[in-house]
Amino acid sequence: MIGKPLRRVEDLPLLLGTGRFAADISLPGQAHLRVVRSPVPHGMLRGVDGRKALSMPGVIGVWSAADLDLGPIGFRMVAFPGMLPYRQPVLAAERVRYVGEPVAIVLADDPYRAEDAADLVELDIESLPPVLDQLQEPAQFDDQNDTEALLHEDGYGDVGAAFAAAPHVVELTVTVGRHTGVPLECRGALADYRPGAGTLDFYGAAKVPHQNRLLLAGLLGLPPQLVVLREAHVGGGFGVRGEVYPEDVLVCWASRLLGRPVKWIEDRNEHLLAANHSRDQVHRIRAAVLADGYITAIDDEFWLDQGAYVRTHAAAVPTLTASMLPGPYQIPAYRVRGHVRLTNKTPAGTYRAPGRYEGTFARERLIDAVASSLGKPAMEIRLSNFISPDQMPYARPMSALGTDLEYDSGDYALLVGKAQARFGLAELEHGLAARRALGEAVGMGCAFFVEKSGLGPYEAVRISVDQSGHIDIITGAGSMGQGFETVITQICAQELGVRPETIRVLHGQTDQIEHAMGAFASRLTVMAGSATLIAAQALREKALAAAARMLEASPRDLELSDGAVRVAGDPDTGISLAQISEALRPDQAARWGLEPSLTADGWHTTDHMCYPYGLHIAVVRVDAGTGQVIAERLLVAYDVGRAVNPMLVEGQIVGGAAQGLGGALLEEFRYDDAGHPQCTTFMDYLLPTRAEMPPVDVLITEDAPSPRNPLGVKGAGEGGTTAMGAAIAAAIDAALGVPLGVKELPVHPEAALRLAKAARRESTSEPGGA
Amino acid sequence: MRQNVLRPGLLVDINDLPLNRVEDLPEGGLRIGALARMSDVAQAAGVVQRFPVISQALLLGASAQLRNMASMGGNLCQRVRCSYFRDATSPCNKRDPGSGCAALDGFNRGHAILGTSDKCIATHPSDVAVALVAMDAVVHTRGPADDRAIPIEEFFLLPGDTPEREHPLEHGELIVAIEVPATPTARLSIYLKFRDRESYEFALVSVAAAVRIQDGAIADVRLALGGVGTKPWRARRAEASLVGKLAGEASFAEAAGQELAAAKPRPLNAFKVELAQRAIIRALMTLTNGDTR
Repeated sequence: MIGKPLRRVEDLPLLLGTGRFAADISLPGQAHLRVVRSPVPHGMLRGVDGRKALSMPGVIGVWSAADLDLGPIGFRMVAFPGMLPYRQPVLAAERVRYVGEPVAIVLADDPYRAEDAADLVELDIESLPPVLDQLQEPAQFDDQNDTEALLHEDGYGDVGAAFAAAPHVVELTVTVGRHTGVPLECRGALADYRPGAGTLDFYGAAKVPHQNRLLLAGLLGLPPQLVVLREAHVGGGFGVRGEVYPEDVLVCWASRLLGRPVKWIEDRNEHLLAANHSRDQVHRIRAAVLADGYITAIDDEFWLDQGAYVRTHAAAVPTLTASMLPGPYQIPAYRVRGHVRLTNKTPAGTYRAPGRYEGTFARERLIDAVASSLGKPAMEIRLSNFISPDQMPYARPMSALGTDLEYDSGDYALLVGKAQARFGLAELEHGLAARRALGEAVGMGCAFFVEKSGLGPYEAVRISVDQSGHIDIITGAGSMGQGFETVITQICAQELGVRPETIRVLHGQTDQIEHAMGAFASRLTVMAGSATLIAAQALREKALAAAARMLEASPRDLELSDGAVRVAGDPDTGISLAQISEALRPDQAARWGLEPSLTADGWHTTDHMCYPYGLHIAVVRVDAGTGQVIAERLLVAYDVGRAVNPMLVEGQIVGGAAQGLGGALLEEFRYDDAGHPQCTTFMDYLLPTRAEMPPVDVLITEDAPSPRNPLGVKGAGEGGTTAMGAAIAAAIDAALGVPLGVKELPVHPEAALRLAKAARRESTSEPGGA
Repeated sequence: MRQNVLRPGLLVDINDLPLNRVEDLPEGGLRIGALARMSDVAQAAGVVQRFPVISQALLLGASAQLRNMASMGGNLCQRVRCSYFRDATSPCNKRDPGSGCAALDGFNRGHAILGTSDKCIATHPSDVAVALVAMDAVVHTRGPADDRAIPIEEFFLLPGDTPEREHPLEHGELIVAIEVPATPTARLSIYLKFRDRESYEFALVSVAAAVRIQDGAIADVRLALGGVGTKPWRARRAEASLVGKLAGEASFAEAAGQELAAAKPRPLNAFKVELAQRAIIRALMTLTNGDTR
């Protein structure tokens, strides 16, 4: 069962149209909330006048910050105390800091009336000049603080000595633009506070319901057990969906105020203004290089445009950027300084491969620069700097997401060799060279990366078998559509020897299980998968113990297969899990000295992450007339330790690659000089479509299983994205014959055209050039 | 309306009017009902066979879902592509005459370089209108007083000092049909569209081109540009330069250069000047198979 491409068990309701997404859920008597948002990027909020809105039919009320008694939204991840002043208030009180910032709410008996009324709320805002560039010197944020929310410094080794001794120093500045995950389902929330009972039910949770329950209960001053978060179907997450945003708090607050359910459903325009942006980093990076290409030190300084506030992810992105930047290479000395700077743009958070997409772009462009300055092939530079298998586990004296950075396993050169053979890279390059000779601008680019996955510290699973033999697996971890239920089903089905159809996976309901972390950081197969295995093993032991009583045999002589317990070697003695569940009623279990019910809990805890790794290869053609970059092929080789379901791993990689390509060529949140967002619809924020997305060849290897979990798995959620920007950039360089041409993502046609022209000038001015 | 750019007091649903037919006219022209859906027109046999440029322009516009819903008359009357026009909080002479134009010094990568004024530089967004302009279509209207036939080039107004006025329709006047006159030139025609993404995306530059070659020389040529003009832009200068010349890259390049000489680019959209010239050359080269005889 493990290792098989089992079809997704969660698809049937979706195919039948019986899926329930946030907007599908309604409760009797619900009111509808609409957020009034700031139309200016920066200003002092002098007044909010809701009188006109209140006169509209169906309007229940208008509220602004003055009516709220709520603190700012706290941090969920890696936080430094110095970042606390930059938390986002639920509603802007004195100052608005970005276009789209919540300023007031309107509640009405109908969503359309709420929206119409919200347009009539008058805001008196005295505009201030906006800050729009993370490279400009820090400006004033408030009376006590400037706009540099964090200067994150980390590193190890003697960087100064390495540079002083280095025969070559290679330096460059690179930029990754502002883009983010754009789930097809926008956000949504329905809060139901019951006066009297004092309970709050929240529908529309995603990603991290248990963590968000603590945040919301804390903000509202309610005991966490009286707050129940419920995950419905989720139409994509990508890091963006499922964090606690102002709107989530506002529906809860309003429901408690009104004593009736309150619903908010985000539209796309709001989503592009209000949900987390991401990326937007400038790196100035340099390497100390020996004559043979060995890199003795990297020194990186980067500037991250955090937008207007520091949200729930706190320092997760800058610290991950810093710690994961050295990637697959030894790098004996390393220094990094990351400036997290606030601007008057939508706040930023994590997006699939956060910090790694940016850091990998910087590092792999640096590798290409080293190769170019030494006149060696880039892959040779990579191979001579790789951490070797005999150095594993490899500790880099830094921390990542609060864990010690220690790579668990890996054979990077082996993966390169396998990819070269499987994809026929030599022949491919030969063919591209022939096309270039005929005048086509085609080229191939590579980038290698290390991912991280399976973040702890824990995940829990409870398995129970009912009297019919049906199995429920309960976990607090979430499903955003990635195939989580299928993977968990496979692991349980294998361990218990049962058919997948008998298993149901329940997830993301905070009242079903006490503890959970959630769905992020490519962690679920590692964490919840391992917990499932451990719980299934415990359940097997319990089934054997009960069956031993029923068969009057020793548990040692029993085996569990095909959903039944038998005496080894005696196929006629089988008793089913259903019969065992029936037998384990409380009175009989007590007589046997066993706990009642055929249930078992399993925990997986860990202090360390796992580190999968991969190679991305892009083949692109540049239209010399228009500058359009056409990706012809994408190739991904990825070692996941062990693939529970190779089909789902491949699906993750292909989807991730599309998002990586989007960030490399199309997707960008642009702001004009006045701070107004220019990409607030899908007309202006360009997602790649089927037409831009070439076929992706995927090679999944299992050469470096993780020793850190009983399955040997590593996460697969982000490795399709991580190095795609770096690979496409290198491919464009190769197509145009301009080493280190691409230093900025996304590569717009204008930029490609400029490079093409530069290449032509170069070749015509070169004596003897053809 | 969704973005509060327009707040009409009264909306009239005209979808039940019997204006959705696509007819072949006896002498080889077309009469397209104002309510004919973009997808139906794109697939009509007479359009595909005799006016490939119109079919291609339709199929390269909008998305499949929008093409199934959007009418031809509505397409001609669609408002401009300008983020400031659609952002009700920015000054915009088109939305709020006299308030100023935020695009002049704003983010104007997508804006027009031809037919601009110091009041407005918004680009006309339609694809099919570019093809119709190249084909000398006529817009038929019905008003309270009488029926009118408006040559399509006159149907689109330059912004000048009154960017709020985009077409000459009077109060109570409706488009009923679009007629496309027969021309043998249309059979060899093409719509070429360059954009940031291959589907559901506006043109950075587009070209509607048709050409008829006689004895190696250009006997008739039609050229119109999209994505670069404040209205669908008939490239009359380029056409005049080409007639009588030998078909070939040199004459195409010269004509393209003459048309774009009048361009008024801004820093962010300056690339369109060159892109438009290359697009014209490529369209004509494609039509003539690069064949100069």
